[in-house]
Amino acid sequence: MPSFDAVNYSLRPNKTIQRAIVFEGLRSLSYALDWSSAAYIGFGSIWFADFVMAHKRLGIERMISIESDQIGFRRAEYNRPFRTVTVLNGLSYEIIPEFYDDPVMMSQPWVIWLDYDSELSDDATHELRGVVERAPANSALMVTVNASGKKYGADPSQKRERLRVLLGDVVPDALTREQLRDPDAFALTMADLLQQFLQATAENCARPGGFVPAFRAAYRDKASMITVGGILPTIERRDAVSTLVTEDRWEGFSDLAIIAPHLTLKELAVLQAQMPRSEVMDRTVVQELGFDLGEDQIEIFRRYYRHYPAFAQLSA
Amino acid sequence: MTEPIAYADANASRAFFVQMLTRDITLEDCVLDLLDNSVDGAWRSIGHIAPTLDDGADLSPFCIDIRADEGGFWMSDNCGGMDLQRAENHAFTFGRKDDDDEDRTGDYRIGVYGIGMKRAIFKLGWKVKINSTYCDNGIAKAFFVPIDVRAWMAQADTDWKFEIFNAEPAKSQGVAIEVTDLTRGTKSAFGNPSFQQNLRRVIARDYALHLHRGLTIVLNGVAVDASLITLLESAEFAPLRKSWDVAAEGGSVHIEILAGASAAPPDDEAPDEDDRGEERYGWYVACNGRIVLAGDKSTTSIWGLEGFPIWHRQYRGFIGLILFTSDETELLPLTTTKRSVDLSSEVFRSARPTMREVTRAWIDYTGARKQAREVAKVAEQAAKSVSLFSIAQNPVIVTPTLPAKPKIKTSTIQYSMAVTRIRALATEFGNVNLSAREVGMRSFDYAYDDMVGEE
Repeated sequence: MPSFDAVNYSLRPNKTIQRAIVFEGLRSLSYALDWSSAAYIGFGSIWFADFVMAHKRLGIERMISIESDQIGFRRAEYNRPFRTVTVLNGLSYEIIPEFYDDPVMMSQPWVIWLDYDSELSDDATHELRGVVERAPANSALMVTVNASGKKYGADPSQKRERLRVLLGDVVPDALTREQLRDPDAFALTMADLLQQFLQATAENCARPGGFVPAFRAAYRDKASMITVGGILPTIERRDAVSTLVTEDRWEGFSDLAIIAPHLTLKELAVLQAQMPRSEVMDRTVVQELGFDLGEDQIEIFRRYYRHYPAFAQLSA
Repeated sequence: MTEPIAYADANASRAFFVQMLTRDITLEDCVLDLLDNSVDGAWRSIGHIAPTLDDGADLSPFCIDIRADEGGFWMSDNCGGMDLQRAENHAFTFGRKDDDDEDRTGDYRIGVYGIGMKRAIFKLGWKVKINSTYCDNGIAKAFFVPIDVRAWMAQADTDWKFEIFNAEPAKSQGVAIEVTDLTRGTKSAFGNPSFQQNLRRVIARDYALHLHRGLTIVLNGVAVDASLITLLESAEFAPLRKSWDVAAEGGSVHIEILAGASAAPPDDEAPDEDDRGEERYGWYVACNGRIVLAGDKSTTSIWGLEGFPIWHRQYRGFIGLILFTSDETELLPLTTTKRSVDLSSEVFRSARPTMREVTRAWIDYTGARKQAREVAKVAEQAAKSVSLFSIAQNPVIVTPTLPAKPKIKTSTIQYSMAVTRIRALATEFGNVNLSAREVGMRSFDYAYDDMVGEE
């Protein structure tokens, strides 16, 4: 079943938070990397949430969405949010390589987000390798995959071997059982390894500016997902990008899985009224406000409240 | 003979050493060359014991700490340090001096050609600082040697030297090397996560014997675990282990060979998607304890030579290790990069007949096994993995005797399927990593049981 039939994309708060973090990061990066003529490439599905942000936040006009499902393709065409969105029908690993021979596509940076619904596969790593090696200079590459441990093996040793097959040499021989067994630890470990895989791929082909990691986060709405991304800068822009993503205020790297609490509009309003604050925000504070939340939930809210979505039912 | 009409300039050029010699060695091997110096220091400190499997040497007091990242390379040890005399006369010369007695005094070292450290630092970067703290008649002394490689290259004179300055002694006696302003290739490699993991793997493998003796090697804050070779032993499986001394020009070399099954041979001879497991099998060669050839399946060992087949997946599971030990390091069959053996070495050639015998025995076993897989598997599963250090002396390799089985007529079934479907079915069979062949076999068995039932 295509994911647009399974999930109403607009109702995934953690995905929404994570997407907002990425686009806010991309916006700061866009000042260092001229993206005025960049192309946005993604899997817009029928919702185009990322495409809307690519256009509104980054000002990108040329946008390409890839859709393999026949019905999905027709619906995507129908739902195109802007005139400059092109929907291509086919599989990304067949379509993206065509861009490599397209002088127009190769003359401008790409902001490409390969938001796979599924787990990392051999096809996906092959595709990622291709993008890291071939994408034009100053492109941004983001990838999202399902990081539920069971998708990679029934036990720690199967998972270790599967990661080794998929990601190669970057996977250490000494991955601990804890890293492989605990779901959040597994997701974060996998995000680290996927990021290292992208870095190693760029170094292995001597890509002049290499791959500068900029995003690494795990989040969970229904399935455990990870997003990893970074920039493929020119050698001249590399330092500027590296400086930006290592600043304290850079939010692209999260050591805590984004699993935000579901809040009522009333709770959200009360919590939000406390922000921003330099004093401690913990369970005692929330209890004083009249309700209760777990410490991790409060921490996630404190970090990401600016991106917190509010959902309400609308009549169509 | 008449008088020459002129003289051709044959002086060495500084640039040759910096830019050319560094091309013959990988970055990993450069780091290993520096490690060798530290290990030699540790060995000197405990008093020159012959590094055999039974030496009983305790290297646990010694630690070598390496940090390598895009910003530079730092390595420090507590292995005794290098004294001023060694620095003045030996450590910084290019190549061994003819009258160099210092390095011939029987200390079972690994460094032999007098090129390793210089070549390594030139490959690493442009700004170098080497510190040494050593003990001189009970007093701690120290010096440092700063090298600005670009400035050194630019000097035109033929009197090559590096300046040595006094330094404050460090807390422990040892050498500290700092290389900054890395060369482009080095900087890129140190920033590459796969290089970092592979460097760790190479250290774990090539210093396995030293790590087993208690030496600590820390790479970027994390200690390296030894990747020790084990061999199967049981009533039916016995690895070969034998040793002898061979006289060579100027001394003698102790040779020890261990060889046998490290794991059962594969059932599936088709290459799978990930053949990494293959790397560990084959022949290993260690010279004075340092592994210089690992998992070799080429003509360097025996495969594909003298009527032997070239390596094939069928032979997986075999591991052989040859240890050459001598206090006359020059007699060891080492190449300058310490990444292979000198095939012309008489010492190495003298080991070949034994290598041939065990390799032949393994080839025969894997052939016979195809006709009696079930019996072989029982024997293989009953065998225990034994550490190299615990293997008993045994002049021949022993493998299970397998009954010849009457042949049942068989046919091969072959079909193609989308990889994603194979992986999905493998997952349902309980292991996402099953080979395509295994998925095919299980699918047949599943359908057979379901539709035909018991035979």
